[in-house]
Amino acid sequence: MKNSIICMFFLLTVFTINAQEQKMTAAEITAFKNGVINVSKNTKTLTADFTQFKHMDFLSNDIETSGKMNFKFPDMLLWQYTKPYSYSVAFKKNKVSVNDAGKKSEMDLSSSKMFAKLNGLIVGTVNGNMFDENEFAISYFKTAEYNISKLVPKDATLKKYIKQVELYFDKKGSMVSQVKMIEPSGDYTTIVFKNKVANASIPDSVFSN
Amino acid sequence: MRQFRIQYFLISFLAIVLLPSCAVKTVSGFKEIKKEGVYEVSYFSDKATDYVYKAHISIYGKDFGGIFIAKKINDSIYRTAFTTEFGNKLFDFEISDNSFKVNYILEEMDKKIIVNTLKRDFMLLLKQEHSYDNKYESSGFEVYKSEDNKRYNYLFLDAESNRLVKLVNATKGKEKIEIIYVPESSILARNIVIDHKNIKLKIELNFIQ
Repeated sequence: MKNSIICMFFLLTVFTINAQEQKMTAAEITAFKNGVINVSKNTKTLTADFTQFKHMDFLSNDIETSGKMNFKFPDMLLWQYTKPYSYSVAFKKNKVSVNDAGKKSEMDLSSSKMFAKLNGLIVGTVNGNMFDENEFAISYFKTAEYNISKLVPKDATLKKYIKQVELYFDKKGSMVSQVKMIEPSGDYTTIVFKNKVANASIPDSVFSN
Repeated sequence: MRQFRIQYFLISFLAIVLLPSCAVKTVSGFKEIKKEGVYEVSYFSDKATDYVYKAHISIYGKDFGGIFIAKKINDSIYRTAFTTEFGNKLFDFEISDNSFKVNYILEEMDKKIIVNTLKRDFMLLLKQEHSYDNKYESSGFEVYKSEDNKRYNYLFLDAESNRLVKLVNATKGKEKIEIIYVPESSILARNIVIDHKNIKLKIELNFIQ
């Protein structure tokens, strides 16, 4: 179950973006992908504030939580909720550690192929470099503000949890600014990144919980 | 064979005679008052409120967290769901005082023992009407005793505030589940602890929204 819990994590979400979406042309797709790959190659560290909105159809309001994210190439990630509660998850190589308001737990991912896949997905979500056509059926769109890639998982296991992942990239910086993860039920989670800082120095000790 | 029958008879007889002496301790020493009626639980009763709680679950020494959500969607039915901190849904049930429906449950959790435990706990937590056939009093508490599916619910009301502060679910001889409420208002308990007496399972809920 823990596997699934963590995995789900990356299946984050998006905000309703009201601008009109247009399909990208083949040339635009190539240029967009090159831009993202180039930026992600040159992103050795990344910090950002995030706000998460969980939408469930039967609720009057989305559930809003927020915190801070730290990423260090190639495989360290700290995901830290600070409001309205304290909860953080650190990914470091093949280890995941959780600190739930002081209650700590740890697990090893190396034994699980599924987890390795998810780990890749997480990092991919943060730096946006998720163009693996073997894993996802991908379609590309643009608005005045964003380039958007929509990913439909091909893996049968992943499909049970995620109907679609949508990544919204700032047109200027080619970085992910919103992620929307849609569940098979239609409920979704949106994560909006703000105050992104790339390539600041982050000591490894930050990624222990 | 005959001797065996006699032994069997004696054991049964002793069991019946001795049973009252192992009666549940929940209201021992309390003053009994013959009274019948219906007690309505007002927590979770407001249809306009999204009841969203940070949850800590401790099961056989393992801890994990998540978000517990309950919403009254009409006069008799609640939707209740549990998600990870990242927003991924683990289960989604529809519950009334006498019905239970699974809208969704993560495949890894879809085991009879897990579903039945969740069903019992959340049906108990969200039960709106308790028909009681006895009342007890002690200093500080009024207690209603209500029969519930071969078990009994003891509802402890703080005598001063008249609010529900504890619910004990018991068989004739043993306490099985205890729910402790810390009231915020008549319609909201800000902290709830569901503690199992026969298995090592404890669920703590803290209101966040």
